[in-house]
Amino acid sequence: MTPPRQDPAWPAREPEQLERRIAIEHDGTIVARSGKVEYGQGIRTGFAMIVAEELAVAVDRVRVELGETDSVPWDMGTFGSMSTATDGAALRAAASLARSILLERASTRLGVDRSALALRDGSIVGQDGRAVSYTELTADEPLRGTVPLDSVEPRVPGPLSDTPRRADALKIVTGRARYPADVRLPGMLHGHVLHPPTSGARLGSLGDAAARAVPGVVAVVRDGDFVGVVAERGEQALAAANALQASWCAPTDASGEETSLTLREDTGVSAAFDGAQVLDAAYHLPHVAHASIGPSAAVADVREDGAHLFVATQRPFALRDAVAELLGLSLERVHVHPQAMGGMFGRGNMSDAALDAVRLSRAVRRPVLAQWTRADEFRFSPHRPVLDARLRAALDASGRIVAWEYEAWTNPHTYGGPGAWPRMVEMTSGRNAVPPYALGAARIQLHVAPGELRTGAFRSLAAAPHVFAIESFIDELAVASHQDPIAFRLRHTGDPRLRRVLELVRDRSGWPDRPRSSSRGFGVACAIYHGTYVAEVAEVAVTRDHEYRPQRVWCAVDAGRLVHVDGARNQIEGGVQQALSWTVFEELRHDRRRVTTAGWRDYRIATARDAPREIDVAFVDAPDLPSTGVGEPGTVPTAAAVANGVFDAEGARIRRLPLMPQAPSADALADSTSTS
Amino acid sequence: MSPATRDADGVTQASGDSALAALRGATTEVALSPLTLDVNGEQRTIHVPAGTTLLAALRDDLGLTGAKYGCGHGGCGACYVLLDGAAAAACTLVAEEAVGRSIVTIEGLGQGDALHPVQRAFLEEDAMQCGYCTGGMIMAAVALLARTPNPSDDDIRDALAPHLCRCGVYGRAIRAVRRASR
Repeated sequence: MTPPRQDPAWPAREPEQLERRIAIEHDGTIVARSGKVEYGQGIRTGFAMIVAEELAVAVDRVRVELGETDSVPWDMGTFGSMSTATDGAALRAAASLARSILLERASTRLGVDRSALALRDGSIVGQDGRAVSYTELTADEPLRGTVPLDSVEPRVPGPLSDTPRRADALKIVTGRARYPADVRLPGMLHGHVLHPPTSGARLGSLGDAAARAVPGVVAVVRDGDFVGVVAERGEQALAAANALQASWCAPTDASGEETSLTLREDTGVSAAFDGAQVLDAAYHLPHVAHASIGPSAAVADVREDGAHLFVATQRPFALRDAVAELLGLSLERVHVHPQAMGGMFGRGNMSDAALDAVRLSRAVRRPVLAQWTRADEFRFSPHRPVLDARLRAALDASGRIVAWEYEAWTNPHTYGGPGAWPRMVEMTSGRNAVPPYALGAARIQLHVAPGELRTGAFRSLAAAPHVFAIESFIDELAVASHQDPIAFRLRHTGDPRLRRVLELVRDRSGWPDRPRSSSRGFGVACAIYHGTYVAEVAEVAVTRDHEYRPQRVWCAVDAGRLVHVDGARNQIEGGVQQALSWTVFEELRHDRRRVTTAGWRDYRIATARDAPREIDVAFVDAPDLPSTGVGEPGTVPTAAAVANGVFDAEGARIRRLPLMPQAPSADALADSTSTS
Repeated sequence: MSPATRDADGVTQASGDSALAALRGATTEVALSPLTLDVNGEQRTIHVPAGTTLLAALRDDLGLTGAKYGCGHGGCGACYVLLDGAAAAACTLVAEEAVGRSIVTIEGLGQGDALHPVQRAFLEEDAMQCGYCTGGMIMAAVALLARTPNPSDDDIRDALAPHLCRCGVYGRAIRAVRRASR
């Protein structure tokens, strides 16, 4: 798969300027800057390790600045598990250039050839013991220059970075990590916005007498269809917002335009089905919620001469641009300050609360903290699109796939709407719709249209849903042709990296020898996600009440060169845990127009009681291959691995998430997959 | 302050330039009652409206933002504090109910620069990602180990179960509590 940064649909990378990336401060601190943001995935730590390694200093000497729009290089956003692959590489190249410049200057200063110099703990030393520090070498002349893209000088051997703790860990365990809702500015007020019950609804009449009578209320702010309350205290703002009497007019413009794409169309697909063993099946995934534990919140301080935003966002520069447009300010007068962020999982691509705070602060000319409630978050967030997929495949007499048809219907995974250009739709809603196997003659089609609910980016976009359908169906094909599911996959791929993770997870899990029974099954699934290879085996226990309990998950991952091994492991473990929750519990409740789920009471996610006994993560050692991402890949094959494990135990094929025992009649149907 | 324009319903119209002319200063007087709370070993007096939750008092009046707002009904565990040594959801308590009781927040758990053993164990296991739920989990673990120094795996899971974590660090958190119990 082509990495997105090389795709014509994405802006071409500009040559990097070293001075925007790396600086040496007077006390020897090395500042490293990136437009990416940290929301728990650990890039602050990983970036510090990369720069520390290149400049041969201890990791805690590096301070990483992320997403501050005034100082960091422009960036499109933090998504797609690409931070380490793209900005990690950019920082490595910048630090490599910095090292080269420092060595050159030290060579001049000490009158010693470069080859006789070594880097040691923030200084450059000659063989005679004379040393000059990075600070001295940059005191009169800061680091500056154009960073050659994709060229990193061979590193001078230096002390290997130790494996540090998460850079923010101490603040987190002492309660000092500051999330947007924790920001307290002088004179700050609290705001709450009344959201339209359905996306795009128009505000008709508004009665605000009762809201104004709530003690502490400072203003009721109406701006077109936007309405919110500002008060001295948060509870007062919420009470006043609840006291507003608003009538909304449902949107007349349904704008349900469908984009249809053919992702692959070989010749002779229909003919390839003739005379072969044919299977078909349909799969469905419901809407699920990001369900970040921290509801959206943001502080805005809008003044005549500019605006400061204290926010959680995955796109600081896009937010800056949107706020500049809203306020009629030039870009440099909008200052975005990313705070500690609750897990985003795609939610932070839309900075709703930040825009709320800006409108409220503009109206009252004081800093305002806009806080969404848990109910707001369920009702008014964009959610993961539904997916309906129909699959049909043909096997030849030897059990090899000779024909493949895949047609899927889903909703937009980005916020551009149906007008987004086809290549973007393919890269988002079509992500991982093409299986990594030899398929014979294949036709793969995708239909994307807005549905009943607001939808948007969700961890891995369409990858996890497509892979649930595809990898479950691959299991059906293996079973129907009496082949071992891992052997069947190996038989259909020549990609050595995919083969390696399948073989590794087979060996780690003891796949062939695990005792199966009607109450215990094992399932496998795999994927290649943005260059990261991942294969998972799930052990599923089936209780007497036919509840499905994932007991253990083994993961084999090839993400190229790892930067922070335990951080990568944490990401894969967390991805699997979150995906297990999607798989066995989650479904957003809604009617034709709106979300009816309002709180945790009617949206179950996995708790510590539901956590599997073990999530075993094994990385393929690939130090010479470029680093790829680990934030999303762990989530992608999990649902299929579990569903395949349920089949292994019960012999029932469940083609819908969340996995629930099917009524006997449905079981019978599921088992009578048409065979011709 | 320029006059705000109002529509027929008396609603402030704050569009375009008039957004800068929203009503201010018309705040209804709020009756504030003094409360003295025992927080992290100190007596702190605050003046809050009747019915203010303990969570709001901690976060907005005492500057202790380590307890997080997550749901407002005790359903996620992000706001947990120790109340007389037991883990409790600060969002479902009215501040007045906490008068006369010992309140400990995540900020008050360590002694000076020395971390509490549970905090240290969470660091050592890197039992966190975004960190939003971590404070609540640590408070629950401290309460658990105070009453059950050698908890079983089920004891640990039960104590952590009220604390939702979307990043999925449950396995690490369970290991951290086990480590702290040694």
